[in-house]
Amino acid sequence: MEGKVRIGFYALTSCYGCQLQLAMMDELLQLLPHAEIVCWFMLERDSYEDEPVDIAFIEGSVSTEEEVELVKKIRENAKIVVAVGSCAIHGGVQSWEKDKSLEELWKTVYGDGKVKFEPKMAEPVENYIKVDYRIYGCPPEKKDFLYALGTFLVGSWPEDIDYPVCVECRLKGHPCVLIEKGEPCLGPITRAGCDARCPGFGVACIGCRGAIGYDVAWFDSLARTFKEKGISKEDILQRMKMFNAHNPKLEEMVEKIFQGVEE
Amino acid sequence: MKNLYLPITVDHIARVEGKGGVEIVVGDEGVKEVKLNIIEGPRFFEAITVGKKLDEALAVYPRICSFCSAAHKLTAVEAAEKAIGFTPREEIQALREVLYIGDMIESHALHLYLLVLPDYLGYSNPLKMVNEYKKEIGIALDLKNLGSWMMDELGARAIHQENVVLGGFGKLPDKATLETMKKRLQEALPKAEYTFELFSKLEQYEEVEGPIIHMAVKPRGDVYGIYGDYIKVSDGFEFPVEDYKKHIVEKVVEHSFAKHSFYKGEKPFMVGALPRLVNNAETLYGRAKELYESHRDLLRPTNPFANNLAQALELVYFTERAIDLIDEALAKWPIAPRDRVEVKDGFGVSATEAPRGIVTYALEVKDGRVAYADIITPTAYNFAMMEVHVRMMAEKHYNDDPERLKYLTEMVVRAYDPCISCSVHVARL
Ligand code: SF4
Ligand code: SF4
Ligand code: SF4
Repeated sequence: MEGKVRIGFYALTSCYGCQLQLAMMDELLQLLPHAEIVCWFMLERDSYEDEPVDIAFIEGSVSTEEEVELVKKIRENAKIVVAVGSCAIHGGVQSWEKDKSLEELWKTVYGDGKVKFEPKMAEPVENYIKVDYRIYGCPPEKKDFLYALGTFLVGSWPEDIDYPVCVECRLKGHPCVLIEKGEPCLGPITRAGCDARCPGFGVACIGCRGAIGYDVAWFDSLARTFKEKGISKEDILQRMKMFNAHNPKLEEMVEKIFQGVEE
Repeated sequence: MKNLYLPITVDHIARVEGKGGVEIVVGDEGVKEVKLNIIEGPRFFEAITVGKKLDEALAVYPRICSFCSAAHKLTAVEAAEKAIGFTPREEIQALREVLYIGDMIESHALHLYLLVLPDYLGYSNPLKMVNEYKKEIGIALDLKNLGSWMMDELGARAIHQENVVLGGFGKLPDKATLETMKKRLQEALPKAEYTFELFSKLEQYEEVEGPIIHMAVKPRGDVYGIYGDYIKVSDGFEFPVEDYKKHIVEKVVEHSFAKHSFYKGEKPFMVGALPRLVNNAETLYGRAKELYESHRDLLRPTNPFANNLAQALELVYFTERAIDLIDEALAKWPIAPRDRVEVKDGFGVSATEAPRGIVTYALEVKDGRVAYADIITPTAYNFAMMEVHVRMMAEKHYNDDPERLKYLTEMVVRAYDPCISCSVHVARL
């Protein structure tokens, strides 16, 4: 890209962790001479949501009617739209109960209280606009940002990872928490890139980077193992929905996992 | 009649998170209305975790707020452990507090240097200060890096710490890493003190001074810290954390997805570093105690801007405190990371001191699942009080240039450190 790249970082409904991760990177200081921050409310007081940018980073899920309008506006103004993090890409943890009605959720938290804004069920950005690239994770790893920014700045295009966390886990030589401790690790179906961070601490993966493409993921072997460990289909489904609730093929695939496996 | 509309983005309130605004309406008689609008979508954390497996709910709660993710994780875990009748070993508790202090150091450093200081120095964004304020930016990065590294080592990462589990940790750092941590904390002390000195010179905006009710957790063991079993109010009243609903009411307000909290029915109150100092200063020790004694004139309970300096004082205190807690853990080395826990049915409440004030979790556990959840975050506690102070600032300055009024009200909000930067969003209406 020629000259300074105009970038915008836009937040929808989220925990602000993705932008915090980016803001905390000392490497950001090296990037600055090459970039102009047009919009980034977390750091820049003079931020404008409706100015043209080369790259728009969007964090958060679409959770109000106002945010629907905002993402459309961002798309119109941006050459490249990058969805950052599980909220923007998958709807985020706030989608976990996507099948419950909004009224029911509202009642549980707010009772009969009324608010003058229009809430809606959390959705991925892609349900409303075309997204050109994704930076996965909740939050993404710092190297994910470096890789994406680096490739953009040299005029190239970052590529998706199409192998699961298990691959990195095996390469690192961590003990397998699924096989050895019987914990419901989602490593076999989750997009790699975190160096198997959680299994490295002896904790099962919760799938925060989202599921990899279903024709690649190792659903079948996972099915057998889950079954052997006595984990029910419903529990597996709930666990996968934490970061994949909007995946239209999820139920079908979980069904497939348990096919031929007696419950 | 002159009508002025000022949208300011305020972020990170539980159940809501993110975008908010300040709306100030001025009429002929002066300020008519002041509202903090919270316009970001609700995330229903309490509702979506009901019926879910306890460990999975505990993985989701930190995602309420990234700046306080460790606070959410550790408070939720304590509430859950109380519910199932489990008490962590002392050394595990000490290391959890070290992790929590990592969050405190990172959060205070980011807030003070990146979010507050640019206003005082006349910059719209902290990155622009790099050339002229090399030393300050250097200190900010060092403290921030120290805090996030502590969370990486003890929590698996600085944001959303999956390494904290029921019964302890997934894995603990080795002894050498803890010794390095102690050394890095020792090296950070002069930087924390420099921060205190720097912030002791800032303008106090006395126009917003007036009586405030302060609320903070009464520190366990009478040592200034993060955990406690009682909540202390500056009017002298104390109550067990389990009784929080008896003394604090939450109300849905029409202009906000975040609820407002009131003490004794209708009194707004403040939580955060300043309330902690106001209520618990006698439990400080070390260098922080000396600094507190010598700067009492600046740390005035009546001025919300003193919250900035109170945070700087806490940078000094918690750095020293973490060193002591690491020593405590090292004295018991080697430490088993985790105890077996049996997930029994029960109900537990935990209130701890997040970087920006009390955070409360009440969890009921049944058959290994969450049966009830109630969460109140610091910013939600603070909202009503914040509105009062924004109003005071507006009443004093409504005749000023709108840009200046905007800047001043924004600074009031920022002094509360409502979970993230509260930058003015100039809406082009
Ligand atoms: S993806 Fe995760 S870290 Fe990023 S904003 Fe959403 S909840 Fe926060
Ligand atoms: S299942 Fe989990 S622990 Fe086992 S290899 Fe895969 S990622 Fe690692
Ligand atoms: S191991 Fe799983 S949950 Fe942990 S960071 Fe990697 S993808 Fe996320």
